Amino acid sequence: MAEVLEIKRLPLVDGNKTPEQVTIDIAGVVEARTGKLWWIGFIISAICLLIGVIATAYLIGTGMGVWGLNNTVGWAFDITNFVFWIGIGHAGTLISAVLFLFRQQWRTAVNRSAEAMTIFAVICAGLFPVMHMGRPWLAHWMAPYPNLRGPLWINFRSPLVWDFFAILTYLTISAIFWYIGMMPDLAAIRDRTKNKVRKWLTGTMSLGWDGSTRTWQRYEIVYLLLAGLATPLVISVHTIVSWDFATSVIPGWHTTILPPYFVAGAIFSGMAMVLTLMIIARKTMHLEEYITIRHIDTMCKVLIATSGMVALAYMTEFMTAMYSENQYEQFAFINRAVGPLAFAYWIMVGCNVLIPQLLWFKSVRTSLISVFIITIFINIGMWFERFVIIVTSLYRDYLPASWADYTPTSIEIAILVGSFGLFFTLFHLFCRLLPVISMSEIKGVLNFGREKQASLNQEEMQ
Amino acid sequence: MSLLKKTGTRIKGTKESLEEKQNTHFIEMRGEEDFHAGENEFNRRDFLKIAGFSFAAGVAMVGCVRPPVEKAIPFLIQPEEIIPGKAYWYASTCGGCSAGCGILVKNRDGRPTKLEGNPDHPLSHGGLCAIGQASILGLYDSRRLKQPLIANAPADWTQIDSEVISKLSSAKQNGGKVRILTGTVNSPTEKQLTGEMLSGLENGKHIEYDAVSSSAVSDAHLISHNKRIIPRYFFERADVIVSFDCDFLDTWISPVEHTSAYAEGRDVERGELPEMSLHIQFEGRLTVTGSKADQRVRVTPDEITPVLVNLANILSLKAGVSFPLSQLLDSPVNKDLLNEIADKLWGNRGKSLVVCGNQDISCQLAVNFINHLLGSYGNTIDVDRHSNQRSGNDKELSALIEDIHKGEVDLLIINGVNPVFDLHDSKKLGEAIKKIPLVVNISPRVDETCEVSNIVCAESHYLENWSDSEPVEGIFSVSQPTINKFGDTRAFAECLSAWLGTPKSAFDLISNNWRENIFPKSEKDGSFQAFWDRTVHDGYIEMPSKELKTDSFDRSSLESIETKSWNADNSLSLVLYSSIAMREGRHSYNPFLLELPDPISKVTWDNCLSVSPERAEKMGAENGDIVSISIGESDTKPIQLPLVIQPGQHENVIAAAIGFGSKETVRFKDVNPQWIDAKSSVGKDGYVGKNVAGFSTFNNGLRQSNIKNAQITLIGKGEPLAFTQEHNSLDVRDPLLPAGSHRDPIIKEGTLTAFRDDPHSVVPHTEHEGDDLWGDDHQKKGHFWGMAIDLNRCTGCEACVVSCQIENNIPVVGKDEVRRNREMHWLRIDRYYNDNDGDVSVVFQPMMCQHCENAPCETVCPVLATVHSSEGLNQQIYNRCVGTRYCSNNCPYKMRRFNWFNYAHEDEMQNLLLNPDVTVRSRGIMEKCTFCVQRIQEAKIDAKSRGVKVNDRSIKPACQQSCPANAIVFGDMNDPESQVAKLLKSQRKYRVLEEINVRPSVGYLAMIRNKPESDGGMHHG
Repeated sequence: MAEVLEIKRLPLVDGNKTPEQVTIDIAGVVEARTGKLWWIGFIISAICLLIGVIATAYLIGTGMGVWGLNNTVGWAFDITNFVFWIGIGHAGTLISAVLFLFRQQWRTAVNRSAEAMTIFAVICAGLFPVMHMGRPWLAHWMAPYPNLRGPLWINFRSPLVWDFFAILTYLTISAIFWYIGMMPDLAAIRDRTKNKVRKWLTGTMSLGWDGSTRTWQRYEIVYLLLAGLATPLVISVHTIVSWDFATSVIPGWHTTILPPYFVAGAIFSGMAMVLTLMIIARKTMHLEEYITIRHIDTMCKVLIATSGMVALAYMTEFMTAMYSENQYEQFAFINRAVGPLAFAYWIMVGCNVLIPQLLWFKSVRTSLISVFIITIFINIGMWFERFVIIVTSLYRDYLPASWADYTPTSIEIAILVGSFGLFFTLFHLFCRLLPVISMSEIKGVLNFGREKQASLNQEEMQ
Repeated sequence: MSLLKKTGTRIKGTKESLEEKQNTHFIEMRGEEDFHAGENEFNRRDFLKIAGFSFAAGVAMVGCVRPPVEKAIPFLIQPEEIIPGKAYWYASTCGGCSAGCGILVKNRDGRPTKLEGNPDHPLSHGGLCAIGQASILGLYDSRRLKQPLIANAPADWTQIDSEVISKLSSAKQNGGKVRILTGTVNSPTEKQLTGEMLSGLENGKHIEYDAVSSSAVSDAHLISHNKRIIPRYFFERADVIVSFDCDFLDTWISPVEHTSAYAEGRDVERGELPEMSLHIQFEGRLTVTGSKADQRVRVTPDEITPVLVNLANILSLKAGVSFPLSQLLDSPVNKDLLNEIADKLWGNRGKSLVVCGNQDISCQLAVNFINHLLGSYGNTIDVDRHSNQRSGNDKELSALIEDIHKGEVDLLIINGVNPVFDLHDSKKLGEAIKKIPLVVNISPRVDETCEVSNIVCAESHYLENWSDSEPVEGIFSVSQPTINKFGDTRAFAECLSAWLGTPKSAFDLISNNWRENIFPKSEKDGSFQAFWDRTVHDGYIEMPSKELKTDSFDRSSLESIETKSWNADNSLSLVLYSSIAMREGRHSYNPFLLELPDPISKVTWDNCLSVSPERAEKMGAENGDIVSISIGESDTKPIQLPLVIQPGQHENVIAAAIGFGSKETVRFKDVNPQWIDAKSSVGKDGYVGKNVAGFSTFNNGLRQSNIKNAQITLIGKGEPLAFTQEHNSLDVRDPLLPAGSHRDPIIKEGTLTAFRDDPHSVVPHTEHEGDDLWGDDHQKKGHFWGMAIDLNRCTGCEACVVSCQIENNIPVVGKDEVRRNREMHWLRIDRYYNDNDGDVSVVFQPMMCQHCENAPCETVCPVLATVHSSEGLNQQIYNRCVGTRYCSNNCPYKMRRFNWFNYAHEDEMQNLLLNPDVTVRSRGIMEKCTFCVQRIQEAKIDAKSRGVKVNDRSIKPACQQSCPANAIVFGDMNDPESQVAKLLKSQRKYRVLEEINVRPSVGYLAMIRNKPESDGGMHHG
């Protein structure tokens, strides 16, 4: 008899919650009065956002020259930020779609916020390609729409066009997936709330959810289908982003390893960002019982795995360069490691390869502080990874006469700060206005029914 | 008028002139008159009108964001000769310096927009240097004087004339000293007029000086050939050229003429067997000329004399002629090398040439003696049909300065020079000039000397008036006006004639003089009118040549050679040189030239002190550090300059360019785009660079540009310099270079011997071409435009850069933007150093859009803004470009240029220079070399309208047109008869970065040096 109990997994939610308690805990966050801590966080984020808005206005009003770019280095912070944010956005889909299909039920505690993070990150990312254009007011020319310009259309050979589609698709699917998944929870809030505005809003958004078996059945099918649709995107989006570089002729960009390297890196950085956010959220919103140390431990294992993948990619690049006997290729990589911008390379290696090795230790994985610090390092490291790929390939390419250096200007830094401001402002609003944990899904993994069922079973046996 | 300008932005002076000139009827813009009517009386009706208009305008603005199209109103009565939009060409003579190169002025819609070299001109052969190209901007300089000034207040000419005439007549009566101080005057008419003026005076004198003096050459010839002249040099006839501190390709006397001739001699493939001239250069700093030399010997300026005397001594032994010295002097250059050089020179008697740029009589006499022994006079040097391109006399100048200081001069007339800026002790000189009773300065701008002059006569630009010149004895040229005067200005000749009491127009003066004095010298076939018309049409006339006289070398002149022994001292020599862009500073108002990088150091917008790497290392100094320069015991104020490390420079030589730091540069304070991080284009003192001319002193009556006993001290860090090229070597430094590998040669170079032995040794034949993704999809069936660039011919003079800039409306971006690597030049000249055991060799490589067949830029543009034409051009469609810069990132040559800002086009006057055939680009879009597609189109339209085949010889891109060395050849690669197709078959041809299979349409011809080493694979890095 004892064997039956032993193979039962540890509960995913602590504290023997009842479904009712779950609703109270989670919907309560939305319904409660706005806390002081939230306001502080929100105002700081909004100020950062404002800095970014002002800097962007200045950029568009004055010209691209307010960035530190030059004839040789045509992309730097702009595309670095773009790839960085797209990467952050990856964890959301991975957690919600891929882990859903693999029946990884621990995902239920974090999938909602991870998806939200995805959408916000993709929004942040999507701004940069527009902003980096010399004439952003003509950004719509990137879209293939019927026009009066005769046969002139977009260039389907250009990776930037592929990018445009990839990101748009990703944003659309992620947003729908997120929204569909939220419908039962919105209905729950609708049913509980006394606030008329909120009732009307959640009522409209939940599309008349009635909780009937048929509704649930349809819902689950749709959710499964969407998960199926979203899964290839986890691979495709960053693969396509990597083609921006891989299809070029610039040494350091022109490598076939870039797609898997980018995807692994994206999952790595996305997971790190989810962890960073979750560690803060569970503390501030008192969700320790839902997002347990075990969740954090599991995600840290994903980090070790993906860190290993990027480390392998870093090494493979050097190997390929050496093996290629292509002097430009060899120079590009050696220059990354020992050239004038070597510091960026070593920050990348340190943060992405060396520091995450600490996560092999369980004590590190289960210590919130250490995990939090490590994830911050990974975020920094992954930003630098993109910087290294973009800038250190461009600034010393073929002809030494055209080599140049790159230093960011205050405007570029302000826009980077602004993108974080936008991200956190949106995330704060999300935390305040929508249920941060999927109530309907987490109820399915509660310990509540199982304990009872187990004891009933036991009785029957006896 | 109406074609020129749009509503309300008329420029003073153009209207009347054009009406007069073309005798045409223009329509006044109605709107403009209405507007002016409303200014004075503002009644109810006007109020309603304006109110109504503003309402309508408001509505219109709501409807469309872009401003309405402003229409130019066509001629009401079409003038017979003028077809709107069609360019006319007028032959003329360049007034950029006194070299007198022939030019063709492109006139469109009544205004000159471009200068090109006159291909038929006997001196310049179609080339035109950077200064010549840029000098057209002087015409449209909005800060040019438009009227004369008395005591800095606007005045009119009658007032000035009466004052000068009364001063002249009083000088005539009481024998007052009248001095006319000018630069080199080689205009026969001006010479005649000055002569006329002085002949009536008891104590009158015309003094000429050159800010960059070659007085020693003339003085030496006075001693040795009894003629104070600078001879004409024929570099194309010389098989061995030995040059001592003479930068003849850069700024010395007539650089375009020399470059053109020199390049002919360096053409390896001119004969059946590969051959070329041998060029040995002795110099202290690294010059453009030195960088082209086959062998470069580093010596300080002081060491030149003993080396030359020794060489003369060795050669006199060979010739069996006596020489004042019986044995060789101590010399820094070893005897074997001198013997070797002497052998080569002696072996090529009559086909060799020795030149020297030193301001030292002994040196120059030794050179004359050597040339005499070698039989150069009459072969490679001509003293009969000598050069008039520099006729300055330093002795007379120093006498004048003394007179001025003594306060003995009563009337000083100045033209074409800026003594307060050019000469040493300028402050004191300025004070002394101020004390002269009357100083009349004929100048286009208020320069430093104008400030101490009582009267400033506004001088017209050379494109505004008639003038003539005789740059070389027997070669006369005429410049014709190509636009009517912008202001109330006069030419120098007109001023002189007015003050002689017989005011005449420049045209009358010149045609009269030509009728009386020049026409009789000609062959006189036909009337004067026919002669005159032909000369004006051609721009020049070559008088029938006299028989070359035999060498008239006077042996007794050898006595004047000073043979002081050389002793090695480690004192520093400061070399003041004129840079290719700035020369003496006359064109310092010109932003094109300030932004033109120094051909060697690649610094823009500054003059620096160049120091050898060894010295810099000893000092612990880096590029951009500020150093203070002072001269031993002299009381010249120390000057602080940024330092630039110059490989190839002698350790005991430091060098700085003159011509910088002029008053004219104050205007460039805000020339660069203004934004929060923007830094000014001028220094803290408000000037671009610093004027170092103060260090140049007189020595034995000769202005010296090499100053001994210089001292430099490191002051500290300065602002970073504005380099256009920061990486100078193709050799990648050790830590960055994997063992056993080296970068593929971007520059291919070999020796003549190796090339002779095996023509494939320099450019090894590539086995296979890479695969082509497009297959036979994109065949070029009609034209296939391509270019060939001969690295052996290119001297790096950068004339093409300025030509391209003007032709293609490329903006000047200012120092700060250049520092940020955002210069807009579509064409750059890459300069690479190759370190050979401590000595550097230099190669120049013009680099522009390569118009790749498999262009990496084209595939990546998301909006198809850059596409390939069916004739092989890589096209950029400005209107379509959204500015992702992906194309630029993916360009292996990095030759695309992005408009980071809206660059300044506020100066309405300057905008008249814009080429109407080329779009002015707005911010946020990419641009690049188009192979001057507007010229290709023009030629095609022209051929079509005449029903003939397009001849690619009629298409010359701006760079090719201006190149004095003929290093760039453009044409149709599909036409087997075209020059480009033939050149691209050369065994020296290679393409840069061929291995990445982008298939550039530009082919380079490898550099060959006339060196004995037989290893052909002397590839750079």
